[in-house]
Amino acid sequence: MKIVVCVKQVPEITDVKVNPETGTLVREGVTSILNPFCEYALDHAVRLKSAHKETQIIAITMGPPQARTALFRCLELGTDRALLVSDRKFAGADTWATALTLAAAIKAAVPDFNLILMGKQAIDGDTAQVGPELAEILSLPQITYGVEMQLTANKKRIRVKRESENGYEVLEARMPAVVSASKGELIRRMPSFEDVLSARAKDLCTISAADLDLDETELGLQGSFTQVVNVFPPAQKIGGTKLEGLEPEVAARRIAAYLRDQKFI
Amino acid sequence: MHEISTQLVPLADFDKIRRAEGFERISSEYPTYLTDESKLSPEPFDYLFFPMDEAELAAIFKQMSARDIQVTIAGARTGLVGGCVPPKGALVSLENFDRVRTVTYDRNAGQWQVTCQCAVNLRSLGTQIASKNFPDVARCGDSAALNSLKRFKEDPANYFYPPDPTEMSASIGGTVATNASGARTYRYGPTRDWIRGIRVMLSNGELLSIPRGKYFASPEGEFTVIDSKGNDLRIKLPTYRMPKTKNTAGFFAKPRMDLIDLFIGSEGSFGVITEVTAALLKRTEKISLVQFLGSDQQALELVDTLRNDTRIQLDFLEFYSGNALDLLRQRQLEDPKSVDMPPIPERAGAALFFEFSFDAMADRLDYAALEETITSCGASVSDSWAAYENRELQRLKNFRHILPETINAIIAERKKQYPQLHKLGTDLAVPDERLRDMWQIYKHTLETAGLEWVAFGHIGNNHIHINILPRNVVELQKGLKLYEQFAIKAVEFGGTVSAEHGIGKMKIKFLELMYSQDQLNEMRAVKLALDPENLLNPGNIFCD
Repeated sequence: MKIVVCVKQVPEITDVKVNPETGTLVREGVTSILNPFCEYALDHAVRLKSAHKETQIIAITMGPPQARTALFRCLELGTDRALLVSDRKFAGADTWATALTLAAAIKAAVPDFNLILMGKQAIDGDTAQVGPELAEILSLPQITYGVEMQLTANKKRIRVKRESENGYEVLEARMPAVVSASKGELIRRMPSFEDVLSARAKDLCTISAADLDLDETELGLQGSFTQVVNVFPPAQKIGGTKLEGLEPEVAARRIAAYLRDQKFI
Repeated sequence: MHEISTQLVPLADFDKIRRAEGFERISSEYPTYLTDESKLSPEPFDYLFFPMDEAELAAIFKQMSARDIQVTIAGARTGLVGGCVPPKGALVSLENFDRVRTVTYDRNAGQWQVTCQCAVNLRSLGTQIASKNFPDVARCGDSAALNSLKRFKEDPANYFYPPDPTEMSASIGGTVATNASGARTYRYGPTRDWIRGIRVMLSNGELLSIPRGKYFASPEGEFTVIDSKGNDLRIKLPTYRMPKTKNTAGFFAKPRMDLIDLFIGSEGSFGVITEVTAALLKRTEKISLVQFLGSDQQALELVDTLRNDTRIQLDFLEFYSGNALDLLRQRQLEDPKSVDMPPIPERAGAALFFEFSFDAMADRLDYAALEETITSCGASVSDSWAAYENRELQRLKNFRHILPETINAIIAERKKQYPQLHKLGTDLAVPDERLRDMWQIYKHTLETAGLEWVAFGHIGNNHIHINILPRNVVELQKGLKLYEQFAIKAVEFGGTVSAEHGIGKMKIKFLELMYSQDQLNEMRAVKLALDPENLLNPGNIFCD
C-alpha cells in the first residue's frame, strides 16, 4: 500500500505578524516548522504502516527550496521518501492552484497511491480547503477531521473516526481516498537521533513545473481564482496599561487605586 | 590596583519611600513577601520597603542603620535556602529596579554586553535579547544608547545570555548575588563567568562601581575600599582554597582575584548589587537528545566517555536515574497528556539529556564521533529522543521539569497526613574523579535505608540532585541524617556542600562541615570589614 501524506511548512509562531505596508506575512526571524496537523496525518500513516508492514509512506509538499526542512522532519518521523514540488512558477498559488499542482505531482510521481492523508488545515492560512479541493480534483471520496484510522479487513476501505460538532462519527470510504487529520488524543511522536541522522540519507526528489501535466496558466498566481488583496491583523485596542511581573497583591492594589482615580469605585 | 573609592549617593526623602509597616499589616496585605521558594517561615519583622532607585535605597540604609534595624534584601524570591526571609528588622524588595539600561559593544572584549538593573528577570531579559527589542532603552535611552541599540539590531547574528538557572523568573541581581548556575554551566560556567560589571551599594549607603578587570587583590590578599569621608575599609581575603567543583558555599577567594568576584556569590552579605553588566554570546542552532540507557551504571560510563572525548562539545549533560524514569513512567500511565511525550522505552533503566550544535538545513550530518561514543558504552542512538525545533526543544525542557514537579506533588499529598514532611533534595558536587564513588555511596546507603528516592540533574558537573521522598516522619529524620552523611562525604572527596543553591539560612550547618572555624572567621572578617554594623542580610551564611 502507498500512502501519500501532503504537508506544509508553516511559521513556528501562532501570532503571525503582517507587514502593514505590503500586506504580506513577516517571515524574517521566524523559524519554520512542519504544520502540526500535517504531523498528525503523518502519525496516522505511521500507525497504518505498523499494522500493515508492506506500506510505503511518501511525503509531498509544495513550497520554496527551504521547505525541504519540513520534509526532513517527515523523513525523521517515518516517511520512506519525500517529494518537494518547487518552482518559481508555483509562486502565489491560492488553495485551488496548490491543490491542482499537488494532484498533478501525485499523479506523476505516485500514480499507484492508495490513500492521501493531510492535516485538516495549516496553522498559518487556516483555510482547510486544499484537502477537499484535492479530493475533488482527483475525484476521490474524502473524510475530514479524522482522529482514528484503520483499514477494513479486505484492505480496500478505510474506516475513520471523525470529529463532528456533536461528537464523533465513524465513516468508511473506498480507497483510494483523501482523509484529513485532526489532533484527537494524539501525543506527537519524537524521532530518535538515529532517525534524524538517517533521514538525510533517504530519497528526497524535487518536482518542477516541467514534470507536471499542467498548462502554465494553471500554475501559481495565474492559475489562482482567488488572490490575497490584503492581510491585516484585527485592530488592536490601544491605551491599556498592562501590569506585569508584580505580586498579585501589588497588582491588585494598583488596579484598585486606578479604579478609585477613575471614579469607578 | 587594589584600592577603590566609593561614590556618594544623594539621599532621597525617607518618609516618601513606599512601604508597609507592622508585621500584622505586612502579613495580611503582602503575604508573598514573607518567604521565598524555601518556604521558610519568617520571624516577625517591622518594615517592608519598595525603593524606586539607589537614592531611596541609600536613605533606607541610613535610617535603618541609625535605628539599629537590620535589613534583609529580596530580589525575585526564587531562592531555595531562605536568603530573603527576614529573621527580624526590615525587608527591602528591589522589584522596582527593573529597567534595562543599554546594550553596548565592548570592542576590547569583542562582545555585546547588556546593562540592566538588578530586578530584571531572566525570562524578560532573554526575550528582549532574542527579539532585539528593548523597550526601556528605546523609551529612556540617550542618543548613545539608541545608536548602540540600532547597531545591535543591525548585527545579523542572534545572541543570548548563557547562564540558564532553571528558574527563569529569577532576577539577574539575585542570580549574580548567588552566582547561580544550571544545566548550561557544564559548557559556559556559572553566572560569574558572564558578569562584566556591577554597581554595589554598601551598608553605609555609598556605591561601588566595579568593572571586571580593574581591581585586583594585592599580593598580600587585600583590598582597600575608601569611603567618602576618606576612611579606609581594609578587606583581608580568606586564605582557603575553593573546591574544584562548581560551588556556592563560602565567599570566593583566590590569590590576586578580581574584586568583582568577591561580591558575586556572596549572597548579599556585604553589599547590594543594584546594576549588572553581562556579556552575551552568539546563538547557534542546537539539538537536544534524551539518550536512554540500560542502567544507572551505563549512564555513568557514558558520562565519562562523553567528557573525555575532545571531539564532542556538549552544552549540558543531565541525568535521569532509573528510579526517576520509573516515576515518570507512572505519571505517563496516569496522565499521558501532562507528560506529552511518547512512552518511555520499557528497557530504559536510566537516561542522559544533552545538547550540542546542529544544522537542520544540512543535507548530510556527520556525528560519527558521538554515535561511536554512545555505541561504545553498549547503548544505541535509536533509543533516544531528538529535538531541534524550538517547540520540540521546549518539550524536552518540560519533560525535565516534570520530574521535580511530580516529586513536589507526591510530597504535597503526603503532607496531608504528615504536615511536617518536606522534600529532601541534595545540592552536593564532587570532582570528576569522584563521581562514581559518590554515586555508589548514594545508591548503597539509600537502598539499605529502604527510603524512596530518585536522582536527576547536572551529572556533567558531578552535581546530581538526590531527592528523598519520605513517607512518614521517621523516614524524614532518617533522610536528614543521610543528607548530612552525604555532605560530609562530598567534602571529604574535595567537593562542596552547595553547588548551586547557596547557603542562606538553611545550610549554615553544612557550611560548617566544609570550612574550619578559622576559615569561617576569615569570611566573617570580610563581612564585618564592609558591613561593620552587620546591617545586611542577618542570619545568612553566619548564625546571627
